[in-house]
Amino acid sequence: MANDLALMLPEIIVLLTAVAALVAEMLRQPRIAFFVSIAGLALATMLTLPLLGEQATAFSDTFRIDTLSIWAKLILLPATILSLLLVRAELGGSAREGTAYVLIIMITLASLIMAGAGDTMLLVLGILLAGLGSFALVAYPRTDAATEAAMKYFVFASVTAGVMIFGLTYWFGGTGSTLLSELVILEKSPALAAIGFIAVVIGLGYKAALVPFHFWAPDAYEGAPVSIAAYLSVIPKVGAIFALAQVVRDLPVESAWQWIIAVVAVLSMTYGYLAALGQQNVVRLLAYSSVAQAGYFLLGVIAVGSSPLAFESLIVFSAAYAAMNLGAFAIIMQVGRTLEAFKNVGRQFPVIGVAMVVFLISLAGIPPLAGFVGKFLLFGAAMEAGFTWLVVIAIINSVLSLAVYLRIVVPMYQPSENEATTTDIVTIPLVRQVWFAGLLLTVFIGLAAQFLLGSIS
Amino acid sequence: MLPIVSLTLFLPLLGAIVIMCHRNAAAEKVHKIGIITSALTLLGAIWMWVRGVADPGMTGKGFAQVEQIDWMPSIGAAYRVGVDGISLPLVLLTALLFLLTFIYSSKVRKQPQAFVVLMLILETAAIGTFTALDAILFYVFFEVSLVSMYFMIAGWGHEDRQRAAQMFFIYTLLGSLPLLLAILGLYLGGETHTFDMRVWIENPPLEGGAAMLVLIAMLFTFAVKTPVFPFHTWLPAAHVQAPAAGSVILAGVMLKFGTYGLIRFALQMTPEAFREAGVVVLIFGVIAALYGAFAALAQTDLKRLIAYTSVNHMGYIVVGVAIAALTLDPEIRAIALDGSVLQMVSHGLVTGALFFLVGMLQDRAQTREMDQFGGLLKTVPLLGWSFVLAAFASLGLPGLAHFPAEFQIFLATLREEPWAVIVILGIVITAGLYLKAISQVFLGASNEKWKTMPDLDRRELLTLGPLLFFIIVLGVAPSWVLNMVHQTTIALVF
Repeated sequence: MANDLALMLPEIIVLLTAVAALVAEMLRQPRIAFFVSIAGLALATMLTLPLLGEQATAFSDTFRIDTLSIWAKLILLPATILSLLLVRAELGGSAREGTAYVLIIMITLASLIMAGAGDTMLLVLGILLAGLGSFALVAYPRTDAATEAAMKYFVFASVTAGVMIFGLTYWFGGTGSTLLSELVILEKSPALAAIGFIAVVIGLGYKAALVPFHFWAPDAYEGAPVSIAAYLSVIPKVGAIFALAQVVRDLPVESAWQWIIAVVAVLSMTYGYLAALGQQNVVRLLAYSSVAQAGYFLLGVIAVGSSPLAFESLIVFSAAYAAMNLGAFAIIMQVGRTLEAFKNVGRQFPVIGVAMVVFLISLAGIPPLAGFVGKFLLFGAAMEAGFTWLVVIAIINSVLSLAVYLRIVVPMYQPSENEATTTDIVTIPLVRQVWFAGLLLTVFIGLAAQFLLGSIS
Repeated sequence: MLPIVSLTLFLPLLGAIVIMCHRNAAAEKVHKIGIITSALTLLGAIWMWVRGVADPGMTGKGFAQVEQIDWMPSIGAAYRVGVDGISLPLVLLTALLFLLTFIYSSKVRKQPQAFVVLMLILETAAIGTFTALDAILFYVFFEVSLVSMYFMIAGWGHEDRQRAAQMFFIYTLLGSLPLLLAILGLYLGGETHTFDMRVWIENPPLEGGAAMLVLIAMLFTFAVKTPVFPFHTWLPAAHVQAPAAGSVILAGVMLKFGTYGLIRFALQMTPEAFREAGVVVLIFGVIAALYGAFAALAQTDLKRLIAYTSVNHMGYIVVGVAIAALTLDPEIRAIALDGSVLQMVSHGLVTGALFFLVGMLQDRAQTREMDQFGGLLKTVPLLGWSFVLAAFASLGLPGLAHFPAEFQIFLATLREEPWAVIVILGIVITAGLYLKAISQVFLGASNEKWKTMPDLDRRELLTLGPLLFFIIVLGVAPSWVLNMVHQTTIALVF
């Protein structure tokens, strides 16, 4: 028991951080809530480091301490810190500022639980906990758009969670246990395994915004404050993808789970970018882009069990994705939400321009940036798993993605019609630091991926 | 030993960083840094040339001056660079063309910092593409060159630059991604998982159907880049809209990525499959050469005309490489490859000079329509005679750069696949179209409008002089390059 607690120490610290921030908020001390949150998350990150290399389970196999869950902490906790900085910059001074921090930490905790889930019930718990926090955060501004978005999000979540729990009962029926590790028994009854898995894909697919469970994402991101959209597009998504990887580890191949994943991956990549091509709002554009990126993640999931590159690729791409996506959103916070606002930005503010270009071409997967290394490893993993055709589709979509991201780059370097109406970009404190950190990480992960790879294996 | 390859490779990048650190420097100073950096890079390339490509103990497996350090040992990727007789002449060409481009562009006053920085990054990427001995490293440089060229066209191009830049970027990215697939295929197919190109060349990791698939992916990539008909449609648009400096680099250096890749990857890593598919590639090469010549004939815009002759000249290289793949006789193979590599160098020099000249003409007249000119030889004799010389070189006149190259390609073709020698018709057509262009622009009645056109100034002479000099030298005495190339091509084993 004591050992279990020690292994779960980072998660426990995260939970305590949330509680402490809540207390501070109740005392009307949002500043303290903010600093407590940052400090708590930083502490939890540091306490994760000694766990590196550990392979264990806690609480009767229900929680896994393995490469995936440890790296989920090392990526998501710092990413949460960056998100908190953005939230502070955008919502600081508003009436319920502190509650946003508390909710965010709770969602991060939920994502970490998903990423290490060894038990279907823990999976459900993670999804529900992440969902509850997300609805409240999306509705935070109390505008019509935000409320509508939150409502959609909520309805969608209820239905998908319901379906997922229904499907999980099949697994429970078949194995007599809620543990994921018992799923191997289903070798003899592939249909049962497949039904349960489709339900899991619906539940987690909704969290990761995979097509066809993505409908909430563009509306929610658009209605929510930009910083919340940035957060939601990264942390719960990575949590859900890692959870999917945990599930398929023990799922017998006979259930054709790889094919289910492949279909969802193709749909997400293709539909995500096609839909992004038509957007005028940069937040919506990035929302659809994040749908497509989720599809790329699945290339790593599909290789779990058949390629040693699977975990490495998932982890490197998660780190890359967190850095570049948070960076891009931070720049949107500074510049504006419409394509119109990006006009001439590259000429007027060369540094912001270069940073945005770096984030966007990294998202498109162009070397030598982080997104390239991540996608390259994902492609390698999927090919080793025998899904070359899927990699071909992913590659075709990469071309499409370039067209999508150029839609932001092009106006940035277009001379505006009348120089008089040049936009003024207010430098918001903290936001600058966040995109700068994102920029450094995007370049660093691209050039020195070995730093990650070396510590993963 | 001094790591001269890496120094040469990263010197331009260093220059770019220096300029980025001085954001308020005057335009003259920025251009000066650009010129000095590229001059030092050229010195580095010359130094590499002096060291040569001899690889006595076969320690570099056919490559010389190999330098390597670990990069991503977990997946078998490392920073590996080195040269052989195929890449070294291209490195030298690259360094020379960049220096001349910097001299020519020293008049650019539109965001000079960004311009020079992009050009320097492009130079590192170009040299990197030719010297990389690690597939990932190669791919990285290959793509970086694409991004910098995109911004070059989009930022400093002519009227319709945004569309042309996007077309260029998307088209060539679409073209280069299959290469990624091929690289992964070779990586996963090998016994030891490595991205070391030398290992792949020594022991081609794939055979049979898998090798054929990988070859098709690579051929697609390099066909777009070269470009081979029918994948050439991005080229005229990009060239016409690109600034003169961009056109020179695009045609002089970046098109060579395609044919260099064709030799380095397709021919050396999947030789068996290439032999089987050789006839198809040969047919594509013949069609490209003829199509390019005919399409050029139909142009009225001088820059488009030169752009299409590139399709023609690059077609000859594809023919040469296909012959090298088909033949079983090492001697014919060496002749075909010698010709192909020399053709790459000649094309870089000649087309570089021609694009510079068109740029100079456009600077003066603001138009490139040939029927707008006439009798310019009298008003601007230096410019006129330079054009005539470069045009004669381009049509393959003996004594000028293209002749020894094309001659060897045709010789090898005649010995291996005699029917393919119909490609020689291309020379007749290019001769016709250049004569037509020369008579329209430089001969005949002079147009009143251009009476006051100034002749070449010092900066322009400095740009053109070395190119014209090498065009003649290479035509009269090609052996100093050929010996270097031959050393490698004769030792190739399949």
